[in-house]
Parts: sequence; structure tokens; C-alpha cells
Amino acid sequence: MPEQARPRQPIKPGFFTVPDDPNEAPKLLGTRCDACGEYFYPRRAVCAKCLSRKTSAVELEARGTLYSYTFVHMPLFGSTNMEHAEGYGVGQIDLPEGPRVQAPLAGKQAEFKVGQSLRGELDVLRDDGGTDIVIVRFRPVGGA
Amino acid sequence: MRDVAILGVGMHPFGAFYSGKTNAEMGLTAGLAALDDAGMSFADMKAAYAGHIFATAMTGVRVMKEFGCTGLPIQRIENASATGSAALREAFLAVSAGHYETAMVLGFDKMTTMIQSGTAGTAPENMEDSILPAGFFAMWATRRMHERGTKAEHLAKIAAKNWNNGAHNPMAQRQAKEKVTPEKVLNSGMVAWPLTKMMSCPIGDGAAAAIIGPVELAKKLHPDRPVVKIAASTLWSEVYERGHLFQGPVVGPARMTVDASNAVYNQAGVGPKDLDLVQVHDAFVIEELEYYELLGICKRGEAEKYIDEGAFEIGGSLPAFSTDGGLIARGHPGGPTGLAQIWETTLQLRGEAGKRQVKRKNGELPRLGLCHMMGGGSVCVIHILERN
Repeated sequence: MPEQARPRQPIKPGFFTVPDDPNEAPKLLGTRCDACGEYFYPRRAVCAKCLSRKTSAVELEARGTLYSYTFVHMPLFGSTNMEHAEGYGVGQIDLPEGPRVQAPLAGKQAEFKVGQSLRGELDVLRDDGGTDIVIVRFRPVGGA
Repeated sequence: MRDVAILGVGMHPFGAFYSGKTNAEMGLTAGLAALDDAGMSFADMKAAYAGHIFATAMTGVRVMKEFGCTGLPIQRIENASATGSAALREAFLAVSAGHYETAMVLGFDKMTTMIQSGTAGTAPENMEDSILPAGFFAMWATRRMHERGTKAEHLAKIAAKNWNNGAHNPMAQRQAKEKVTPEKVLNSGMVAWPLTKMMSCPIGDGAAAAIIGPVELAKKLHPDRPVVKIAASTLWSEVYERGHLFQGPVVGPARMTVDASNAVYNQAGVGPKDLDLVQVHDAFVIEELEYYELLGICKRGEAEKYIDEGAFEIGGSLPAFSTDGGLIARGHPGGPTGLAQIWETTLQLRGEAGKRQVKRKNGELPRLGLCHMMGGGSVCVIHILERN
């Protein structure tokens, strides 16, 4: 039997997709400059590189390589998820298109090293009256 | 454009538990101390610039009323951590252009109340705020370790230096009772790996003030005191390059400090080798390590070697860094922090820094001091002060 999908909502709209299928990975909502081709995350109206106003909304695969990371020994904003209680990882992930994304990490500190491949997934931060409030976090490719 | 001097400086000590003190009380203490140091009255002030981050709208004007109501123009300036430095820069631009003869620059904040009110950047609705400043700068450290083999011990040595400098500064928030060792720093509890508690600046309250005016006025007010001139002032935002972060504590690649320091070196007609002392935005200790190189004090990849040699300590072979304890030990309430750097550098150049006094190799008083602040990672303000 497939798992009954609970309704899910992004913690803030406009940053990533929340697919209906719980097994489908989220996509990051970015921008591509029509003039110079530079990619950005999150979305923006004007290209920060060439200042062109001709830009297009794109959906970027949530995957890339780890530029840097840390484990923060402080509570993750208001989370009631016990997994977040003992410090949590945050990292900077370079997407192949160019943007550097900052996001929480899924996994233990020993699983991470600079340069490794990561993939994004949705993570439940808390239950809000029967709806799961979700964020994007990144997990090592091939990790548990 | 005319030459502008620091006529007077004053502070209210930085600290964590001034629950009974208002911004107005702390601001008044710092401002009156600066007026006394200058030998001037508030009636002599032709303009005022108030720097605060966390207080509500118009707090700047209301705090300035404590000094009296003289009709002077009052402007509030805010640029995150660089607020006090940015306020000084606006005053400097106006006085050097001749719009005003004098100006008071006053920075104050109660970061402790900001944390209590829950606007510390951890609000769950702000996805882009998911990474605290400690986490961001910890990622500078992780990257540095990956690229250069930097050890946590290098970071601990910088922090210990700043704690020990702060112990000689009566205005410092953290007053170590005994000499701080790198081991103690390493064992002080993790904030964001590899940064420990003692490698991170504290939350605090405080106020600091500077009064500026033409160099001729400085000579007239205190004929026997060295004149401390503002030799250069600059403020930069970021130039786009790959790796720029548009979310979270927005700190892009570190190029901004390089751009800003090149600008002030050109303005002042000096180079990094000419500096005697440097104050930087060492909110987290990895920053100070990076700024050794980004400010051109040493070459890329050499910082660790010089840290091991103690080169950045007072009396070391390179410019002394964070002589008042830096943000790590002196503290970082927000609005007044950049002006605390000006207070320290002014006292140092005048030879009034007591036990933490920097001397040149020939025994003379220092001649050049640089003050560097980052604001929200997205602006960089640098001033060079010169004794002449």
C-alpha cells in the first residue's frame, strides 16, 4: 500500500516546488538571464551580472557539490522535529548551472566533506494543524 | 575637500546585562565623554549622526535630545554591523565638504533586547534566514581548512590574543581574570563547528561616540596633543561574481574587503606595510584570519605561519590586530561597534592606550591605524586614521 500523503506546504512560497508525489524530489525556483546566460537562485527580476531586465523563470534540479559546511549547535528555528535537536548541518552547495545555494544538511557530520555530491529533498520541520511544513535540505548522494 | 580630524572620542562600556540602562543613558555617557575629550560643548555641534540597528524609528533623534535641543540636523544611519562606521563616514563626507564645521557621531544599541524580541534572524517564516551568522562564518573556516590545511589551533590562537588584549581595555565586555590560552578557547563549547564560544563575539549593549571637525580646530583645541586625522574613508557593496549568495546572511566571496582596502590605501597614499595597528570585524575569529590576507598585510596562504609566530600581537612583527580585544572580547552591540574601533585607534595614536599601547619598532607612537567593518556581510567600511 502506498503511504497516505499528508498535505505539505513550503515554509515560504517562491523558493522550491512541493510535488504532489512524496517520492519526487523538489526543484529550486531560479532565474536565467536571457542576455548573458547567468543563472541565479532564488528568483530575481534583473540580472545581477549584466543588469539585463530580460530574464526567465527556471526550475533547477536540487543537486550539486558541497562548497563548504558546518554543524550548528543551536536550535533550528522553532523546529519540533527531534532530529534537529542535537545540532544540525548547513552547507553551501554549488549547482552545476552556477548558483551557490545555502541549505540545511541531512546526515551526520562525519558523512560530509568538501567537494562531494549532494541531492536535495523535502524535510518536515513541523506539523501545522495536519499540514507538514517543509524545507529543502541536502543529503550526500548514496547516503543513508 | 578639507582635512578632517577626530576631535574627541568617548564610550559607555560594552556589556551584556545593562537591563536597567536605556539607549539614552548609555548614549549620553558616551557622547558627554567625547565632548569632554574634545573640550567642547554640545552647542558647538553643527550636525549629529546617530547609528543604531535594533531600536525603533526615531530613537536616534530622541537619544540626541538628551544632550539638549539646539535645532541641529540629526540623521539616523543603519548598515548592520557597520552602522557606527557608516555614520562616521557620512559625517566625514559632510564636514570634509564644508557643509558643517563639526559633527557628533553617536552609536548605541541593546542587542540583548533584540534577541529577546525574537527578531534575531531565526524566525521560521524566513527561509532565507535559516543559517545564523555563526554558521555562515563557520563555513569560511571549513573552506579555509580544506584549501589551506588551517587547524582549529590557529583560530584559537587568534581568539586568545583578542581575549588577552581585551583584558587591558576597561571598555571591553569580556574581561578575562587570567591569561587565556588557546586550549581554553578550544574547550569552550561548540557554537558552529569549528567555531567555539570563545571564538565568537558575545551579544551585548553599549554606546560609543566620536566628534569630528577640521584639523585646524583640533590643533586649536589641544595644541599639545597629537592630531588624529581621518586619512581615508570608503564604503563598498559587493561586485557580482560566481558564488555570490543571495539568501541567508548575505556574504559573497571575500573580494569586497580587497576592493575597499585598495581604495583607502590609494586615498591615504599608504600601503598595508605602513600600518601600525588594525581593527577588523572579527565577529567570528576566522574573519580576522582572512582579513590578514584580504587587507594585504600578508600574502595569500601565509596567515597561519604568522599566527604561529605571534606576528599580529601587540609588539609582534606585523601590525597589531584587535588591540582593544576586537568584537570577540571588547564586544559587538551593533550600532556603536565601529565607533569603538575609532575610540581605540584614536587613543592608540595619541599614546593613551595604557597597558595595550602599540609602539613602533623605533619606540615611537604608532602613526597609522586602519578600522575595518563588514555590515551584514554585504557592505564594507574602512577608515584609516593618521597621527600628524
